[in-house]
Amino acid sequence: MSTRPRPRSTPPAIRRLSRGLAMPLGSVVLAFVVGGLLVLATGGNPFAAYGALLCGGFGFICTQGENPALQISNTIVFVIPLITTGVAVALPFRAGLFNIGAEGQLLAGAIACTAIGIKFSSLPSPILLPMVLIGGMVAGALWAGVAGVLKATIGAHEVVTTIMMNYVAQWFLRYLIVGGPLQLAPGTSKSSPIGAGARLATVLPNDNSLIIFGLPSSVYRVHTGLLIALAAAAIFAFLLWRTSLGYEIRAVGQSQKAARYAGVSVRRTIIVTMLIAGAFSGLAGATEIAGVDHNLTDKYFSDSTGFDAIAVALLGLGSGVGIVLAAILFGALHAGGSVMQADANISGNLVFILQALILFSIAANFVGAIRQRIPGLARPPTALPPEMPPAAPLMTEAAAPPLES
Amino acid sequence: MAHKRLKFLGVAAAVLMLAMACGGSSGGGGNTKQYKIGLVTDIGGLNDKSFNHLAYVGLEKAKADFGVLDSVTESHSGNDYVPNLTNFASKSYDLVIGVGFLMQEAVGTVSGTFPNIHFAIIDGAGTDASGKDLGHTNVQSLFFKEQDAGAMVGVISGMLEKQGKAKKNKGVISAVGGVSIPPVNHYIAGYKWAATMEDPGIKVEVGYSNDFTDPAKCQGVAKGQINDGSDILFQVAGGCGLGVLQAAGQAGLYSIGVDADQKAADPSVIASALKKVDVATYTAIQNVVKGKFTSGALTFSIANDGAGYAVDNLTLPADIQAELKTVQDKIKAGTLTPPADIP
Amino acid sequence: MTPVTDILHLLFTANLWQATLAAAVLLLLPALGGVISERSGVVNIAMEGMMLTGAFFGVVADLAWHNPLAATGVAMLAGALMATVHAVVSIQFRADQIVSGIAINIFAAGLTVFLVNRIYGLQDVGHVGQSELIPYINVPGLDQIPFFGKVIFQQNVIVYVALALLVLTHIVLFRTRLGLRIRAVGEHPQAADTAGINVFAIRYGAVITSGLLSGLSGAFLAIGISNTFVPNMTGGRGYIALAAVIFGKWTPGGAFIACLIFGLGQAIYDNNSIIHVSPYLLSMLPYLLTLVVLAGVVGRSTPPAADGLPYVPGSE
Repeated sequence: MSTRPRPRSTPPAIRRLSRGLAMPLGSVVLAFVVGGLLVLATGGNPFAAYGALLCGGFGFICTQGENPALQISNTIVFVIPLITTGVAVALPFRAGLFNIGAEGQLLAGAIACTAIGIKFSSLPSPILLPMVLIGGMVAGALWAGVAGVLKATIGAHEVVTTIMMNYVAQWFLRYLIVGGPLQLAPGTSKSSPIGAGARLATVLPNDNSLIIFGLPSSVYRVHTGLLIALAAAAIFAFLLWRTSLGYEIRAVGQSQKAARYAGVSVRRTIIVTMLIAGAFSGLAGATEIAGVDHNLTDKYFSDSTGFDAIAVALLGLGSGVGIVLAAILFGALHAGGSVMQADANISGNLVFILQALILFSIAANFVGAIRQRIPGLARPPTALPPEMPPAAPLMTEAAAPPLES
Repeated sequence: MAHKRLKFLGVAAAVLMLAMACGGSSGGGGNTKQYKIGLVTDIGGLNDKSFNHLAYVGLEKAKADFGVLDSVTESHSGNDYVPNLTNFASKSYDLVIGVGFLMQEAVGTVSGTFPNIHFAIIDGAGTDASGKDLGHTNVQSLFFKEQDAGAMVGVISGMLEKQGKAKKNKGVISAVGGVSIPPVNHYIAGYKWAATMEDPGIKVEVGYSNDFTDPAKCQGVAKGQINDGSDILFQVAGGCGLGVLQAAGQAGLYSIGVDADQKAADPSVIASALKKVDVATYTAIQNVVKGKFTSGALTFSIANDGAGYAVDNLTLPADIQAELKTVQDKIKAGTLTPPADIP
Repeated sequence: MTPVTDILHLLFTANLWQATLAAAVLLLLPALGGVISERSGVVNIAMEGMMLTGAFFGVVADLAWHNPLAATGVAMLAGALMATVHAVVSIQFRADQIVSGIAINIFAAGLTVFLVNRIYGLQDVGHVGQSELIPYINVPGLDQIPFFGKVIFQQNVIVYVALALLVLTHIVLFRTRLGLRIRAVGEHPQAADTAGINVFAIRYGAVITSGLLSGLSGAFLAIGISNTFVPNMTGGRGYIALAAVIFGKWTPGGAFIACLIFGLGQAIYDNNSIIHVSPYLLSMLPYLLTLVVLAGVVGRSTPPAADGLPYVPGSE
């Protein structure tokens, strides 16, 4: 890991940014190349596929009449919950905890938001909106708190407990809206709409007759939840790097033993971390209800945002900016996949394959390995990027138990 | 070093994008009007062994017959309904078809935004958030009377039990539903009603697997019903329900398929309750191509051959065949009406 | 006729426990793979993806060759190939093993449906003939034992294989030199390396074994219990298997107990036609039960010391 000093002419910040981006960007390119070969091998046209993907994701190069503004808007709507849940997974990672329960916490938040939004539907926006959002955060925090407390007190592994809580949330949702207390009317399997005061406004007016960028402005569903999500990412970064709690979280993540010696209460940190993570996830769920759906439907039973968030958190390398960028990538892939299927007749599942390839590529740093073999591009071997959390989130103690005979 | 690396990647990316821009091409094009039909499926996807697949079959048949330009988007989650429908509408497609009643609200919203685009929805109407039909003039609702189809197979089951021509003949039959939603419950309602009509002492057990994709789960529920004495099992659970048919096969009993003719799924299948989603899809497209699109509800029932039944793997005795014809005629005439809710 | 009495009634029936064992085995096979893999120090959360891949290729092979034995072999091979990807990325490239595992799951889900579309197109995947499925076999003589005969000896072939593998895994891990080496590599890879054990070979072997087992489970699901491939038919079982591994404290027997709990929950749920309670509350049962047992009985779960850490020779 030698550093060779050389004369530089670009400002250090840009250099750092480009170096930080190069590996993920290169990994994405590599993944696309391999994916393209797969499409080619099974009789498809990779260029048409990727063109459609770019169009659907970012509104670039739309050749079949798609409206670029609409594509960008759809992508942003997908990105919003990914940022907040990405944070919900990334924060516990720093403490050495694997929060695989972000989905269940999101559901808890969505349920709470809906219940409050219906019960108090007559209240005006300045009161009801904070109520539903905070209600969502509390519900999510409680959901994660169960896992946190069990972990802190008796060492119950959070992977098991959070997976269990995911399922409990799913079935609780169904219980509520399929023939249960929150059901709108028999046979509808969804809830009543939440009150008008609980809704997050869309950024552009929700008006069918107003034409913006060539389409009625109601198609642009980007809502102010975007600001909430960005704020969440900023709070996450601030919390982790500029507060004493963040320091404690990172200390516990590095080594529980060392943290204890330094006077950090490991138990308290674990519980608090899970509570905060759950709150973020619950907020994401509440924001989805308040900003997009305005009611609770059975679609949440098979929602996968919380699981995509795991990939987002890992890809984001634990930084606020990284999470936002990773969320944008995944949101764009999600939006682009639908357009790719409609336009290029490539199964939308190619998007999943691409996501996986990107994850492999980044995790394994294939780009780095390739670079080693190309003369002129090689650089001295390094360990994982320094911001990567310790790669052993399943470990609870640094000490090894004795070998059984 | 960083410069070179970045430059390399930048050039690579630019070349890639340039290639894509040149490579992508739009399909279709000709002298005659080629209708553009967009199909948005539900989350089961095109291989759900159920109504999404049938809609796709109908679309492909229309493509073969009318030369329409077809485009399909599978929704991977409920969050995809609105964007998928909007994508087609914003490109001025001639018909945008949504599959499944979970999409009702999405169709209601998007059809309101694009009043000049034709929409069709299977198993539902364009509704608002409260479930009220908005009555948009650009939406055609394609409803099915699944209870008609359920009733026909219920007749078969009831009569076989009553005449002691089933396997165990203890007077118990059952149904396994996916989730307790209207399209599923309509089938079961008709089944139970008709079976009870034919054999008043019959017991009809109803269970739910809460799953549409995992055959093992439905097989478990079916086995539970078999242990309780069930003789004929009706699956109403899509891909999961195939496990019901297999459980019946393993136990040497009879089973009944759903939506499409499921004769090939298992030798134990003696009949299938048909919901001709492919016919409905085809009809909707045909209407548009022939300039005869009408809004409002189109109901597919046994009266217009939109729902029905098929007999598989078994030759029914003459009296059962006669009874089937009688009941079918009565339902068509309106003198007999299977209920929509499970009695 | 309260739900509780309904359930208690059921608990005394052989049918319920027969269903429990069958459901448990579907989870047990990937769980055994998970135990082996993690004991050698490689975190493996890719069971779901390996199972799904095995299921798909098992069906494809059976439809083509009409031979369940060969198809099962193909399924296991497919699972092993997926596992190899995970092994190479995690061991050779020292990637974060959780990322790699998740990527496998996403990859498998996408690849299988992608291939269904590409290979079968509009026709969709067909159904395997009844005689070409992995058979159910009643063990002659033993199956007549009251109660237990039905529960244990009237099952699918794979159930017997799985139970044998359970015992085998336990013996190998805890009573043979190979098992000692595996565990050594998982606890102190540096020390094992110094003692002359090939850390990489052991880890590769362990991960590939887990792929074989998950593939076998996929075959059981697709051409034993079912007769076709439905997208995402594994339904999260791989994650439950992971929970079982951790719940069982990384031992085969412990994982089996966890699998039985889940299997029991599923089997009770299967009778929702006659139990008079909301099927959704009933569905929560196995998960709540696991939490309770975890909190009350199992307690602290400590993984192998080097679990999840890529081995870098010469480090430490």
